[in-house]
Order: sequence, then C-alpha cells, then structure tokens
Amino acid sequence: MTALLEVRDLTVRFALPRPAPFQPRPVLEAVRGVSFTLEAGRALGIVGESGSGKTTTAMATIRLEEATGQVLFEGTDLLGLSDEEMRMRRRDIQLIFQDPYSSLNPRARVGDIVREPLDLLGVGTPEERRQTVRELFAKVGLREDQLSLFPHQFSGGQRQRISIARALAPGPKLLVCDEPVSALDVAIQAQILNLLARLRAEMGLSYLFISHDLGVVRHVCDVVAVMYLGRIVEMAEAPDLFAAPAHPYTQALLAAAPTMARRKSKGFSRPMQIEGDPPSPINPPPGCAFSARCPKAQALCRETMPELRPLNGREVACHYPG
Amino acid sequence: MSLLEIDQLKVTFDTRYGQVTALDSVSLAMDAGETLAVVGESGCGKSITALSVMGLIPQPPGKIAGGAIRLAGEDLTRASEARLRAMRGAEVAMIFQEPMTSLNPVFTVGDQIAEAILLHQDVPRDRAWKDAVALLERVGIPAAAARAQDYPHQLSGGMRQRVMIAMAVSCRPRVLIADEPTTALDVTVQAQIFDLLNEIQRDFGAAILLITHDMGAVSEMADRVAVMYAGRVIETGTADSVLDAPQHPYTRGLIGCIPSLDTAGDGLAEIPGVVPPLHLLGAGCAFAERCLHVRDTCRDTKPRLTEKAGHHVACFGAQEGWL
Repeated sequence: MTALLEVRDLTVRFALPRPAPFQPRPVLEAVRGVSFTLEAGRALGIVGESGSGKTTTAMATIRLEEATGQVLFEGTDLLGLSDEEMRMRRRDIQLIFQDPYSSLNPRARVGDIVREPLDLLGVGTPEERRQTVRELFAKVGLREDQLSLFPHQFSGGQRQRISIARALAPGPKLLVCDEPVSALDVAIQAQILNLLARLRAEMGLSYLFISHDLGVVRHVCDVVAVMYLGRIVEMAEAPDLFAAPAHPYTQALLAAAPTMARRKSKGFSRPMQIEGDPPSPINPPPGCAFSARCPKAQALCRETMPELRPLNGREVACHYPG
Repeated sequence: MSLLEIDQLKVTFDTRYGQVTALDSVSLAMDAGETLAVVGESGCGKSITALSVMGLIPQPPGKIAGGAIRLAGEDLTRASEARLRAMRGAEVAMIFQEPMTSLNPVFTVGDQIAEAILLHQDVPRDRAWKDAVALLERVGIPAAAARAQDYPHQLSGGMRQRVMIAMAVSCRPRVLIADEPTTALDVTVQAQIFDLLNEIQRDFGAAILLITHDMGAVSEMADRVAVMYAGRVIETGTADSVLDAPQHPYTRGLIGCIPSLDTAGDGLAEIPGVVPPLHLLGAGCAFAERCLHVRDTCRDTKPRLTEKAGHHVACFGAQEGWL
C-alpha cells in the first residue's frame, strides 16, 4: 500500500488578543506536532472531545488553516504549494461539513451547487458537467427531478447527500469528513454512514474522518487517532484500539460512551471514570496534558511530556500504558 | 396509583397548515425512584410531553385537547396558573438541553439557586445561600463556596449542567424531567452527568423522566422506556424487555441503526425516509411509509398499544405475528 497522505509534525498556532495594551499576544497551540499516515483506500478517524484540535488538524491538513510542518499528498508537500497550485490540487481533496444547513448556499439550486466545483475547475463541456451532476445525484440517492430545487426544500439527511455529491463532483481521492453525521437524527445517521461506506468501496476513496462519536468512528474507520489537547495520544488499527485501548484517556472515552452493553437493571460501574474537564490549551500543563484527570498519573507524568511511541503494533503517548 | 400519570393526553397546535396533533393518546406512568426514558427522533413529541407536564405548552397556539396529567392524583391540566407556578420547581423540576441559555447570564449561579429556594421555601436569604453552596458541593463542583460567586460564563459546560441539576433538585422535587441533558456536552462529561443523575435519584428518591434519542443512554439510565413516533407512544415497557426484545419495526430500526462500540464492519440497519410532518399524517400507522413490513391494514387504521412479549406495542404486524 502507498501513502496517500503523510502528515509530519503538523502544528497550528493561533495568536490570541492582547490581555492589555503593549503586552505580547498569547499564543494558543491548537495542534502540537501531529503526525500520521493515511494509506490509499483507507479511512483514518480522528476522535477527541471539543477543543482537542481534531477539526483544526483536518483543516490544516487541507490548508484551510495556516500550519507548520509537512503535509505530503502523493509525495507533494501541500504546505509548500503556491495558491494557484493548491487550488488545482483541491480537485483531489474535498470536504464534507458538519452542518448541512449552513454549508449550502440557500439561494442556489442544488443542481448548480453540485456543478459549481466542475465549473470552477473547468472540467469538460457544460453538457458533460450536467451529465456528471445527474450521475452524482443518482449515486448519492437523490432523484433527477430534484436538481432544480433549493436547499430548504430538503431534509437534513438529503442536504448531507447534496454536500456529498458536491464533494464527489471533481473526482477526489481524499474526502475529509468533519463530523458529517453529528447534526442528524440517529436513523438518518445510519443512512449517511451506509452511503459513505458504499461510496468508499465503489470509488476507492480515502477518508480523513473527524468525529466525537466513538461508535461512528468504529463503524467507518480502519485506523483511529485519539487526540487530547492538540496531540495524538493513541493511534492504532480500529479493532485493536477498541478491543484493548492502551492510553488511559482512550480507556476513559470508551468507558464513558453510552452503550447498550451496560444496563441499569443489571447494575454497572464504569471501568474508568475521569473527573473534571479538559484543561485550557492556552497554558497547557508541563507534563502529560491528561495527567490532571488521569487516575494512573505519577509524578513523572506531571513533569515530562510522554512522546508518541510504538507499542505492540500501535502508537501510544503514555508513560504507563495498558 | 402512580406518582405521575399521563393519561390519554392529546395536545394540538394551530399552524399555518391548520391544526396538527402533536401528542395523540399518550399515556405514561412513573413511580417514585424510577427512571422512565422517552426516546424517538426529533419531532416525535418527546419534548412536548415534557413541557405538558410542566404546564409550559404555549397556549395559543398549543392546546391540551384531551386527557389528563395526574401528579399524585391531582390533574395538572385543570390546575390554575398559580398552582402550576407553585408546582414548578418544587414538585416537578426540569433540566434543559443547553445550560448556557437556561441560566441567567447576569446573576451568579449561587444567586440563581438561592432564588429557586426562596421562591418555594420560607427561609431567610443567608440560609438559602448556604443551601445553594451545599447543593453545588453535592453535585460535585469543587470549591463550591467560591464557584457560587461565579457567573455562568465562567464555568465550563459540564459545570453549568451541574448547576442546573443543583437548581432542579434544590426543592427536592418528586419528578425531575431531564430533556436531553447531555447533548451539548462531551462524552466523558456526559458520563459524569449520567452517573450524577443516578446518584441524585438514589439520594432523593425522585422519579426521573429522561428524554433522549440515544439507546445507549436508555440502557444505562432507564428502568422503563417509552418509544415515541409522530406524537404517539408506539412501544413501552421495562428497559430490559424493550431493548432485548423490541417488537415494533421502528424500535428495532432505532436499535439497529446505532453504530455500536461492540460490533464493527457491516452495514447498519436503515430506516428509510424521514419522520412525516404532522400535518400530513393519515388515518393509518404514522410509520407505515417507512416500514418494510407494511400491509394494507397499516395504512387504514392506527394500531393501539397491546401487550406482546412482556410489554406493550402498537403494531399490527407484531400483534398478529407477521413481521
């Protein structure tokens, strides 16, 4: 297998407002030295809670956020491309947003919305583009007679199908999905997840899949990276990660996610319960970012930041994994 | 007699499409100390059920068109506004979805909890403040005395929801309604809030009406469950019975369509289509259009709840055994 996307040491910094005049602007490191590899045809999931940097990582990867480091897409560093080179490269990398209500232009007909990427990239003749749009509509489960409707005439699930059709229009190799089902009802979620699975199999797509929902990630992804406060704390093949999480934070996430395997009538106690909220990324603690909430934390954890190290076929950033 | 009984409740709303029935013959009952989960997709009537109990249906356009809501035998649908005001917070309290929008941004959280206590109990102000701090401590807020002086924006989402819970239990209500209390929260914080609600229930003996769309939450929290669809209860019983042997195709779909942590891989069960708009409901079963097992009878007549496999289900297929 070849690496489609190789991210090395990706770091994103945001300058915050000055606390007082003439003082330096504090810097927030939203993503800190993130590296991962996505092989062609696979799906890599990034999970984490709000503020963990998962969306920023995805946006920086496709250059919608300023970043340092390297993003090698088929061997080319995207961060080094000129704006015009990057614009032409975007046909290979497309994006599906979380909110299907705000990501479609309310004043454009949906057929035009899906055709727009083709127009912008100058693909084929106008008739060929229209034909492509019709094919895409069929592919995502919409009807041809819906082409001239407006977004408000569709339900949330259908709008997400339109977003997917638009993303597929230029024939991308990589689809970045930023919480694509979290705004949808559970029954509709299943429809969209099944559609994404079918499209991946049919078209040989690769997914960079952002979600806070472990069940969704488990269902869609081959490899999962767990982020906490801007860093990857554990990365493994999905079955391994879910069967035996090695990082205490991954263990806590799995113990917290509601599941039908735990039943009130039978009584249960969570294998791991953590307290408090994630710390602020503005002044991260010196050691492991999770140490303040971690029940296994030792003195070493509060002083030294653990590096992401290989461990039994996975990577874990923890002094005391397992 | 149950502590809270919703009996054949019918709620209608005047809309630009004419009058629609938001709740149709909804019957639920809860006893002290038990948790009833109401599940369903958006628009199925979960929140309207909760608001009806609180007497918070906006009238007009809403109207309680029939049925009764009995709290310890007293019919709340006939109660005066003054009686409802005395009841809200003291006997039935509610925790909302979004703690930031349900707390007042210009008062400290301690003040807001003390206000709830002063409204319902004849105690001096300093005593109410002390109680508020004790409650904040009880719901797991560290350095409660200092945090009581904070404004809502100074707290994290999880802390705000704890404040809401402290406020809701401040007068030891007999019924606590939690309307998707963790939707706005991260998963580790959600688990903390669920565990806190279970503890509070053990300590205070309150009945909890939990509104959720998450079958995992139902399993972890509920003693009994009612599945709603388009304003009707379509399946209800003990959580064990409904989750282990769901009878209605909609309940089966809801359970099957969850991407679970325990199984990976293949396709999820799909429920095709969407919940129909209430003004387009016909004479038959509201789920008929999305149901893979639909027959002619389903389109003509609404099924009633009858007993099947140890609980109640409203489905001709389940009742007659041709699913």
